[in-house]
Amino acid sequence: MTDVIPPSEENIEQPELAADAIKLSAQIDEEDLIIETRGLNKRYGKLHAVKDLNLQVPRGAIYGFVGPNGAGKTSTMRILTTLMRPSGGEAFIDGYSVIHNPRDVRRSIGYMPDFFGVYEDMKVWEYLDFFAACYEIPESQRHGLINDLLELVDLSHRRDDMVDKLSRGMKQRLCLARTLAHDPSVLILDEPASGLDPRARVEIRELLIELAKMGKTIFFSSHILADVSEICTHIGIIEAGEMVMQGPIKELRRQLNPHKIIVISLLDKVEEAKTAILQLPDVEAVTDLAPEDGKKRLRVEFKGEDAGVSQLLAALTTKGIPIVNFAEETSDLEQVFMKVTKGIVS
Amino acid sequence: MATRLNRLYNPLYILIRNPVALKELRGRMRGPRAFMVMTGYLLIVGFFTTFIYLAATSDSLSNTGEIDGGEVGRILFSSVVAIELFLVVFITPAFTASAISGEHEHQTYDLLRTTLLPESSLVWGKLFSALAYIILLLLAAIPMQSIAFLFGGVDLPEIYISFVILMCTAVFLGSLGIYFSSTTRSTLRANILTYITAMAVALISALIIVVLVGINNSYTATTNTSVVTRAGEWILLIPRGLFICLNPLATLLVTRDFLINQQSVFTIEYAFQDGTSVTLLSPWLVFSFIYLTMAGIILWRTVHILKRIQE
Repeated sequence: MTDVIPPSEENIEQPELAADAIKLSAQIDEEDLIIETRGLNKRYGKLHAVKDLNLQVPRGAIYGFVGPNGAGKTSTMRILTTLMRPSGGEAFIDGYSVIHNPRDVRRSIGYMPDFFGVYEDMKVWEYLDFFAACYEIPESQRHGLINDLLELVDLSHRRDDMVDKLSRGMKQRLCLARTLAHDPSVLILDEPASGLDPRARVEIRELLIELAKMGKTIFFSSHILADVSEICTHIGIIEAGEMVMQGPIKELRRQLNPHKIIVISLLDKVEEAKTAILQLPDVEAVTDLAPEDGKKRLRVEFKGEDAGVSQLLAALTTKGIPIVNFAEETSDLEQVFMKVTKGIVS
Repeated sequence: MATRLNRLYNPLYILIRNPVALKELRGRMRGPRAFMVMTGYLLIVGFFTTFIYLAATSDSLSNTGEIDGGEVGRILFSSVVAIELFLVVFITPAFTASAISGEHEHQTYDLLRTTLLPESSLVWGKLFSALAYIILLLLAAIPMQSIAFLFGGVDLPEIYISFVILMCTAVFLGSLGIYFSSTTRSTLRANILTYITAMAVALISALIIVVLVGINNSYTATTNTSVVTRAGEWILLIPRGLFICLNPLATLLVTRDFLINQQSVFTIEYAFQDGTSVTLLSPWLVFSFIYLTMAGIILWRTVHILKRIQE
């Protein structure tokens, strides 16, 4: 009998999602906003769920909308998708007001809520056909469109199966295919990876990258910071209804961590290395780290640019210091999140 | 061009092309439920038809020693239509009271609202699919109605009129079901509200008819004929006629009586105590007008409710 290894993100072959996201971010015009809110407010009686929110999502971005439970993410998304009226302020999608032009907004968006709406008595192709018809796609075009959508989300082989027979991950992919039926320019996805197993999460992430490459702007909320970190070009952090921070993810990391942290592993000559490093300009501090696998390690705080990092490496190697690893440590999104949020829930 | 022609020559084109109607019809006819509902419906109609046939023939035999074919035919036909009416009253709300609340329960309502589907298409699609199934049930019972023709006593207008009354009842109750379904997120609650309202309309109108008929009889019987004024008769006639036209069963029975006695499909001659008479619209026409108007208002209100965006 063959051992079945449960899928985990470690043993699933992942594409270079982060690299793709970096490539995408290089092509984005920060001035061309496809989603914009101005002083958006939402009140439920005494509860102020969204407070003067100024959201700015550039065209072509993968925008991660992050915040604790009850922060106002879903309220914001429901306003953006014309399902709810704001108490104040304005919101625009692709230049259309969600209040004054809801039909144009609906034509521009594909919305996937954080639950999967099931019609239990439908086949997979019927489900897509129904929503394509709801988006006024002519009947003559629907057959080809459904085949293309199913191929995109890798469900062609389940075309004639009943929807309720699909796994949760497949349902989520089908739901994503549904949002694409009318070729919208923006996808608004509420917790797209919530409740999925690791393999399904990776598959959804791959799909989102693929859709971004096709020119779609993706605006999604998530609790899973690893997902956001992996694929997003932009991030907005909301807490207690207020936008705490937003912008390109690289920029935010740099703002919150102005120093580069370089970790150097060496076999020997630690003191000699420390002296050589401290002689260089832009070095702020050098500290010892606990040895790992018998190798000594140093942590260098460096405020210079990439050319300076290169000089640092060259200085060490010319002195014959036996370096086995030299790497810049990037602060992960969890650190960024913990730094800017206070744990307030509205 | 072909689409335009289709729209011109096929009045059902828009409804058949309605995605909600198509989805609902596909879902309704899939699986054993549609078959079971129809089988149950036909069994009930069949059982009562047999029972009424046996009762009517034995009654006719015991009274005169021979079967009065026309009378048996009329009893059979009226009974089958009454049973159909009873079933329409019970089945229609069950089909439509989950129309909108069911979308909430299945978490598909938000998905529909973010598409380009107009609210009116959603409502029409739901109503049309429910009515299509009701029509199927009524057509399926035609063989049992046809038994009455073996005995005679039933004319074609009676069949058409009974079908119109049944369909108008279904349209009104279907609209009522969709309306309550749009005002609540619970299908159970929508069902209860629809049945209570339907029963209230049927029972209260029946009660008022009985009371008004009683008042009218005592007025014309006990008052001296010279004292019975035409104005008094009008005053009693209008509410009585109105409440008869609010009750499908009363409309069926009164229309049938006028059809048999006066052989007129669209109008009736009402005779006053003073010997004069007045021509009035036949009850089934007034009933159809009232029920379809009420259905139209209810559907308009439902669309209006669905257009509201959550505050």
